[in-house]
Amino acid sequence: MALANQILDYAAVQTWVSGLREQWGEEPSDLDVRLAVLRRFCEFVERDPDAVIAESCREVEGGKRIRIKMRRHYTEKIAEFQAALPGDARAQGRAGNTVRSFFIHNGIFMQAGLAE
Amino acid sequence: MEFKEVVGRRRSIRFFEPDKPVEREKIQIILETARLASCAVNAQWLRAIVVERDKLPPEKLSQLKTPVAALTLDLAPVHIYFFVDLGVVNRIKGSRLKELVDAGALAPTHGWSHKFVDDFVYPQILEPMTRNREGYLAAACADAGGAVHNALLAAFDEGLGACLNTPNPMLTRQVFGVPEDWISLWVMLVGYPAESWEAGGQRPRPPFEELYFEGEYGTPFRRDAAVVEKLKAAKMIQAPAPLPGRREEIRGLAERLGLPE
Repeated sequence: MALANQILDYAAVQTWVSGLREQWGEEPSDLDVRLAVLRRFCEFVERDPDAVIAESCREVEGGKRIRIKMRRHYTEKIAEFQAALPGDARAQGRAGNTVRSFFIHNGIFMQAGLAE
Repeated sequence: MEFKEVVGRRRSIRFFEPDKPVEREKIQIILETARLASCAVNAQWLRAIVVERDKLPPEKLSQLKTPVAALTLDLAPVHIYFFVDLGVVNRIKGSRLKELVDAGALAPTHGWSHKFVDDFVYPQILEPMTRNREGYLAAACADAGGAVHNALLAAFDEGLGACLNTPNPMLTRQVFGVPEDWISLWVMLVGYPAESWEAGGQRPRPPFEELYFEGEYGTPFRRDAAVVEKLKAAKMIQAPAPLPGRREEIRGLAERLGLPE
């Protein structure tokens, strides 16, 4: 599934990029690479970035809740995604972490665990 | 290390050297320090199970992970699971209080005797307390919590890093097969810090006067600047977080350990 818009047009991507800027005090020098990884992931799960984040949480009285089942689903999808990428384990892990970072800066708490 | 400096250097360490083992002696020192903590009625509610991460079957390690503590459980080579033994008060029935009488810690000067313990303290105070589940749980957990904090300071005194996490209480009890009346309290993750000992600086705290009062609620306990300076000199009050270079340190750790930014 190709994305309908430019990846930076999605609100969740803008939130991610501004979160990275805020956290690290600068825009990552390899932002284009990160955006390309996220685009590939979105194609992999056949969802656009906003849909991925929207699916991962729900509105309840008093605020947002993370959908635990969906987070587990996407945790597994990230693992599948990175395992299917070319390159060594380190490069695969970096790509997976790029996607995790997208979730994290959108408020979806996620931990990577240590690489085997 | 001097006491005040130990207090000042304690931080919740969340980056551990995953493959650097912790000496068994240091773990014993941590536990010995917990055992010597102040304890109401000398009941000793605290129990601990020490786990070397790499000796734990992977499926058990995986069961113990919570969403918030999955990574730190992977990183820390030693986990100390702390429990509160709620059954202890009705098992010992005041006998440890009588040991305090025998040891001269509780004396007739303050109204204490074996008979007072046997006739009044246990049957009229302690045993009924255990039937008020909510109040008893709060008291026992608060008491055991103090002992855990002793242990936490000991870890730093030994040059280690540590942090406390809340494990899943049901799973923890199941994995370790503890008695029915043990309540899961905290897991202390222990190891050598992968981050600098400063870990970005002393953590922010609310203003002193907002927390502590004098004589009555609403009258802040006056904070003497000279005392603050003295504590700075003793390294108890240290440079606040974030220290310069913390971002770079975290980035370096993320890169080295393969973690997301």
